[in-house]
Amino acid sequence: MENSQQGESDNSQRDASYQPAPSYWMAVTTAGLIFGIIVFVLSLITSYATINSEPTGSFFSPSQFIGVFACLAGAFGGMLATWHYAREYDNIPIKLGKGALIGFLTGVCITIVSVALSQVWQFVDPDMTQKIIDSTIANMEAMDMPDAQKQQMIDVTVEGIRSNNSMGMQLLWGVPINGILNLITGMIGAKIFGQQEG
Amino acid sequence: MQTRHLTLYLLVLVLVVGMVIMALGGGLFGQQQFWLLQWQHQALANLCHQIADRSFWIGGQPMAVCSRCLGIYGGLAFGWLLLPFAGFWKINSHRSRLLKKLLIAMAVMNLIDIVGNYGSFWENTLTSRLILGGLLGIAAAVLFSGVFFNRKKESTGKYYGKLTTRGI
Repeated sequence: MENSQQGESDNSQRDASYQPAPSYWMAVTTAGLIFGIIVFVLSLITSYATINSEPTGSFFSPSQFIGVFACLAGAFGGMLATWHYAREYDNIPIKLGKGALIGFLTGVCITIVSVALSQVWQFVDPDMTQKIIDSTIANMEAMDMPDAQKQQMIDVTVEGIRSNNSMGMQLLWGVPINGILNLITGMIGAKIFGQQEG
Repeated sequence: MQTRHLTLYLLVLVLVVGMVIMALGGGLFGQQQFWLLQWQHQALANLCHQIADRSFWIGGQPMAVCSRCLGIYGGLAFGWLLLPFAGFWKINSHRSRLLKKLLIAMAVMNLIDIVGNYGSFWENTLTSRLILGGLLGIAAAVLFSGVFFNRKKESTGKYYGKLTTRGI
């Protein structure tokens, strides 16, 4: 009898001291929205820079740099989400696995937000993809290479642009790749913004 | 040797090695499709400019990422594989801060190299970009030394080995 009362007392003490880990969804959605919008805006800038550029006949253009920064920026969403989570709740243990999970979910969120905004933009400027293709063809026409090879290159590049701009392909590759990258940056964020207890 | 979060370590190892294999492109597997349409190039199209002149070639085809990106993924995978051997490092706040500074320094070095090359102050090469990217990847992996594998367990405190948000 005494033992059972002692056990109940231990349990109630454990229940009182047990605090569930705070939810990370606020951090995930905040970072996902912010970086999703950043990625969308930067990719929009890249697209219009490509459309409005003069044909140079070069494979390499400054707008490609902006495009890469757009996607690299998206890789740091996981780090921001972990930082947000760490700032919001003081003095809680944050495991590396949780940092990784927060990062992965943020990567998925970034992809969904940026792809959704791209689809909305199709209503604002339905001809954008076609304009990019026209500009790319004009640039390739100015390249110094045999006609047959040039035509083959144009066909393949146009197919590649159409494929990369489809919603299915963006989600198919964007979700796992952004998820993996943000999983890693989320872990790095947990390591940087957390404090190692020794 | 004490191990922690072993599942997470193995998961990240598989993912990072997978990224490296993907980054090597279709030439490794003798894919016949034009390289721009290969799945490796399409998967990584949003992460790297994939300019053939700035990439290593394998099997007569450019890799799916440029030499700097290959360095980053390769360095991360290499460093991650070495983590079990770096388990003798004692975890303390001083060393932890040092590793964070190292990672930031490597990121800044890569940024300076990109800007310097873009501004025509100097011309970097495939190899120099690979090395700088590789150092950044290794610095990111080394940040986790002593976390997954630890031979120097010296504390049994409540939060030992855990990251907390205390004091942020």
